[in-house]
Amino acid sequence: MIFVTGPLYSGKRAWARKLLGCSEQGLPARAVWDVQELAADAPDLPALADRLARYEVVIATEVGAGVVPADPAERAAREAAGRLACLLAARADRVVRVFCGLPLALKGELPR
Amino acid sequence: MSGRFTLVAGGAASGKSEFAERLILESGPLPRCYIATMEIFDEECRARVARHRAMRATKGFSTVECPVDLPGALVPPGGAVLLECMTNLAANELFSPNGAGSPEAAGTSILAGVEKILSASARLVIVTGEVFSGGNRYAGDTDTYLRLLARVNRALAARADEVCEVVCGLPVWYKRESEGAV
Repeated sequence: MIFVTGPLYSGKRAWARKLLGCSEQGLPARAVWDVQELAADAPDLPALADRLARYEVVIATEVGAGVVPADPAERAAREAAGRLACLLAARADRVVRVFCGLPLALKGELPR
Repeated sequence: MSGRFTLVAGGAASGKSEFAERLILESGPLPRCYIATMEIFDEECRARVARHRAMRATKGFSTVECPVDLPGALVPPGGAVLLECMTNLAANELFSPNGAGSPEAAGTSILAGVEKILSASARLVIVTGEVFSGGNRYAGDTDTYLRLLARVNRALAARADEVCEVVCGLPVWYKRESEGAV
């Protein structure tokens, strides 16, 4: 599994499509994205990470670098999203950060 | 002519401005030009601008004020140009009464302006903000602005010879001169 992370609107999904050589329509069968949204309601984050890791590509948007949210639910969601990203990175063969559309390998080599 | 182009991104107070200025100072004895994008609202802004202009003058920069309409900015031919900051320019084009208005028109104006500067200059460094890692629940004008800035950043990154994110004053390179795009 390749875990792709990066800032909001940084071109993560477009990069994954290019990597997999598939269309937007073909993407849901091979990749899952916005997984940070799944973290807040997950009773068991490692189990969620295990399930997601069956996809070829898992994509999460980085959401943890701003000011701590005042709202407790938002705080918990942000916390869970960050922990899920760490669990996914641990399970991944490669981790890639896409920034302004450009990939940087954080774990393993960039796929050719 | 199409000058060498480096895109310098970074968060608030990351040291991106100083790093970008260093790239220009290292580019040799070219005519240096600073494209300033802040809109001047009041006396406080004017004082700030005057201080910054004076600081840069000692380093040999001329200053072009360009809060909107980048294609209208006149830069010295064959010079080294530092444009700071894309976050201001994008916001001004969207929200200023003199701006392009729509995100489509704003993006078109900004990217056309960059092409025009590139064709006239030997060196271009553009500073932009990394404001996309603090959450993803935005709405209305904020989301429109973020989408525009992200699209401009991606287009500039694709066009640039070099792209880095500055962290604590140090560059993390996403693209380097003489390396092909991945």
